[in-house]
Amino acid sequence: MSGALAWVGLVARVVTGGVWIVAGALKITEPDASIAAVRAYQLLPSSVAETVGIALPAIELVVGLALVLGVLTRGAALISALLFVAFIIGISSVWARGIEIDCGCFGGGGSKSGAASAYPWEIARDAALLAASLFVAWVRRTRLSLDSLLFDRRSESAPEGAV
Amino acid sequence: MSSNSKASARAQKAAEMRAAQKKRETRRRILTIGGVVVVMALIIGGSIGVSLLNKKEVKAAAAGSSAYGVTIGKKDAPHSVVIYEDFLCPFCRQLESATRSDLESLAADGKVFVEYRPFDLLSQGTGSDYPIRAAGAFSIVLDKSGPEIAKKFHDLLYENQPSEQNPDVVTDADLVALAVKAGASESDVKAAIEAGEGADWVTKATKEAHDSGVSSTPTVLLDGQLFQDGRTIDDIAKNLVAAVD
Repeated sequence: MSGALAWVGLVARVVTGGVWIVAGALKITEPDASIAAVRAYQLLPSSVAETVGIALPAIELVVGLALVLGVLTRGAALISALLFVAFIIGISSVWARGIEIDCGCFGGGGSKSGAASAYPWEIARDAALLAASLFVAWVRRTRLSLDSLLFDRRSESAPEGAV
Repeated sequence: MSSNSKASARAQKAAEMRAAQKKRETRRRILTIGGVVVVMALIIGGSIGVSLLNKKEVKAAAAGSSAYGVTIGKKDAPHSVVIYEDFLCPFCRQLESATRSDLESLAADGKVFVEYRPFDLLSQGTGSDYPIRAAGAFSIVLDKSGPEIAKKFHDLLYENQPSEQNPDVVTDADLVALAVKAGASESDVKAAIEAGEGADWVTKATKEAHDSGVSSTPTVLLDGQLFQDGRTIDDIAKNLVAAVD
């Protein structure tokens, strides 16, 4: 049973991590678009939006790498879950305010008319990835993770829970 | 008695060894976690570095010194504002409607010198040539009818902005009608607008904006510095007006 869960955990890790790596990598080389995308949500003051626009893609990349490799898996999964919660709030908030923007999830961003029709799907996607992240955090041990190489398997407490 | 104490000594030694082993393991784990965290921090730092290297600084020509804009106010006003905009961009329209009358009266009072620089940002994203047609028509009106009428035409273009989903509902004939409404004489502008003669000007204006590091609209510069003070477009508009007043 827990063996099967560990395999499901591997799939959840790789899918979620893969999405993060793509999302982060596409934005790292396009910082101006990334900042503009954050600003388009009209939630953060200008200077904060700039910091977030620069830092977020880097964090996305690292969380993605950590999940795919399975290193500090639990911590990465929890950060991943927090980010998805933030994105769901962000998209819901623009939706509620009637602002139509490209979510900027994978680069791009900024105002885009007709974008509201994509919001339900974007929220559903983020909710599914949030669930996958929480699952990884909950299951603790997943298959083929670097954690199991790095941390002694014989030691009693789950090493993934270390951070 | 003696065998008893031997046994307890053995047990004590075993316990010490276990404790030492545990200590070593804890140490190893902390070092491993530390190593992984350092690698992560390096990747984050590297990525942020790449982003910062790719970030474009907006360095635009001073207000009134571009060949691709229209100005209001006097050049020696204490403040100058440059606004890069696309006629199809809804945020630009929002900024326009929130600042127009204030900037006009402040310009008339000699407090600010404003240059509007239209260019084509959105034709690629929307697949419509409206941004090129509108900015091209603006250039023709600017050339044939002068800056005052061109500014009026610019205002009318925003007031009659089509949606990004269907920009081509505004035809060339509509552009001519708006130009005439702004005060251009139909015989001056009609043929040129309908033939799309402004396209070349738009290409150059767009290149100038791109070379200046402008990658989104509206891009506002106050006294040569990028102005982004505000959470929403309306905040930015309010703060901009307050800053030059």
